[in-house]
Amino acid sequence: MTVTAESRTVELDPRRNVPGTRPGFSSTLRAEWIKFWSVRSTMWSTVMLFVLGAGLTALICATNAEWLASSEADESPGSFITFGLTFAQITAIVLGTLTVTSEYGTGMIRATLAATPRRGAVLAAKALVLTGTLFVAGTVTAFAGYFAGNFFLDREGIGLALSDDGVLRSMFGSGLYMTGLGLLAAGVGILVRHTAAALSMVLALVFVAGNMAFLLPGTWGEWVAKLMPGNAGSPVAVPVPFNPEALTPWTGFAAFGAEVLVLLVIGWMVFQRRDA
Amino acid sequence: MISVSGLTKKYGDKVAVDDVSFTVATGRVTGFLGPNGAGKSTTMRMVLGLDRPTAGSVTVNGRRYRDSPAPLREVGALLEAKALHPGRSARDHLRWLAASNRIPTSRVDEVLELVGLEAVAGTRVGKFSLGMGQRLGIAVALLGDPPVVVLDEPVNGLDPEGIRWVRTLARQLATEGRTVFISSHLMSEMALTADHLVVIGRGRILADCSMREFIAEHAASYVKVRSPQRGQVADLLRGAGADVTPVDDELHVQGLDAAAVGELVGDKGLYLHELTLVRSSLEDAFMTLTSASVEYSARARTDQAGALR
Ligand SMILES: Nc1ncnc2c1ncn2[C@@H]1O[C@H](COP(=O)(O)OP(=O)(O)OP(=O)(O)O)[C@@H](O)[C@H]1O
Ligand SMILES: [Mg+2]
Repeated sequence: MTVTAESRTVELDPRRNVPGTRPGFSSTLRAEWIKFWSVRSTMWSTVMLFVLGAGLTALICATNAEWLASSEADESPGSFITFGLTFAQITAIVLGTLTVTSEYGTGMIRATLAATPRRGAVLAAKALVLTGTLFVAGTVTAFAGYFAGNFFLDREGIGLALSDDGVLRSMFGSGLYMTGLGLLAAGVGILVRHTAAALSMVLALVFVAGNMAFLLPGTWGEWVAKLMPGNAGSPVAVPVPFNPEALTPWTGFAAFGAEVLVLLVIGWMVFQRRDA
Repeated sequence: MISVSGLTKKYGDKVAVDDVSFTVATGRVTGFLGPNGAGKSTTMRMVLGLDRPTAGSVTVNGRRYRDSPAPLREVGALLEAKALHPGRSARDHLRWLAASNRIPTSRVDEVLELVGLEAVAGTRVGKFSLGMGQRLGIAVALLGDPPVVVLDEPVNGLDPEGIRWVRTLARQLATEGRTVFISSHLMSEMALTADHLVVIGRGRILADCSMREFIAEHAASYVKVRSPQRGQVADLLRGAGADVTPVDDELHVQGLDAAAVGELVGDKGLYLHELTLVRSSLEDAFMTLTSASVEYSARARTDQAGALR
């Protein structure tokens, strides 16, 4: 056994490497951006988002254009031109959930918070990365679906112009709604920390509970239904409302945005206090 | 330098770290030793500001970890659980860490080479062996060229060559003037690596001394004596002030060295069948120390006793 003598050969300035000022939020943002795009699931989810969103819209328009143009049609082409986006929204929820829960599942969260102890900055950077990605992906997908689907509608003479009522709004609205869904999923992810749990909660809330809420009795029930995240947020993403009882597009989206914001603030408060 | 003062962490009713105070000085390797569940990882997480102390405080170079403008440039850490996403490559993992603290990207390839992972830099870390993962963890710790290095069980899963590599690296970092804080539950490993020792058991500090002192104080030796006239020899040695414990047909003698025992017995014309100096290993000393702490803390709790040291 050897016991090494205490060696104090070198005096090292403990701060020699440390800048006087913080690297700033842009560094945190860059780190989150690299993190987001350096796992395969991100690319796959984004591709799926596009394929489902644009592809299914094109498919449904192609197969229904003739019927829509006929006299027996009881639906407007506007209900079809964003059809695939509903499925794309699921992948947006998956992406939003994974940005947060994959860190907890793998223990990465500790590396993240050791690198950036300001937890608010970490959360803001994650939210911003999601916002940028989902807004662009959602809007691009909606436009792609519109152009592809409209090709078939045009052939039957029932095409929609971008200038038609609500069409352009629904394109950007798709990007906005998808962003909101991703952030909602991220917020739930912060609170429950498990991928499967967070995912099923958000999917159930948006796609199941929302529809069931319309069965609630009375004005009270009616308002609960109107304000459910999926019901309030989705009208902005479609040219013609699916449900006459729903809020108008921008009122609904404002309510939805507020709900997402409240959830993120709660998540932020929990995240600040919690052991990593 | 790391200063820990009155640090306590409770998880519900469970006290993981119990009013712990010590400092980790610069320019030497400080070993943080304790059996499983002693509170080593919990203490290290609190050093990094990951877990919030129930009471007490920790500072690194005079300020709280989270107050450092670029913590990775000040403290490098290898954490217990692999803090990695299996789907990300080693290089990408280091790249985002570098970006978060404005560390030049050139440093990524430097540390990959330093730990010998340059050939697998683009491989997803999910495919890494335990040892490769551990090496990547050390690359992460060294990324910011930090003056303080905290390693939680760095030799876990490493082969003998890897263990020697970590040992040499730790020594080298200390010689460069850095603060090196390494946890382990292997006394024998620490004896080869550490200058200073902080021993923790059940969340309490049991020893805080130099490695040299620890060996002198705790690696007890005794003289093993066998004699056909056991009773007489025992009385004789006790009379000379020795501490004599009969064990089976042997006597374990402390307080006299083998030569003194031999001479005393010889003077009285008694027979000896065996006279051996027995040194207990450091590992034994460590076990004795920590197992005693368990009993003591249990008693202390019922007595409502205060300070242990
Ligand atoms: N997040 C937690 N929640 C509840 N209990 C915890 C938590 N983390 C640690 N503990 C408990 O605190 C005690 C100390 O654990 P810790 O991981 O710090 O020990 P350790 O010295 O690192 O052990 P090992 O050598 O096994 O790594 C253990 O009893 C453990 O079960
Ligand atoms: Mg541990």
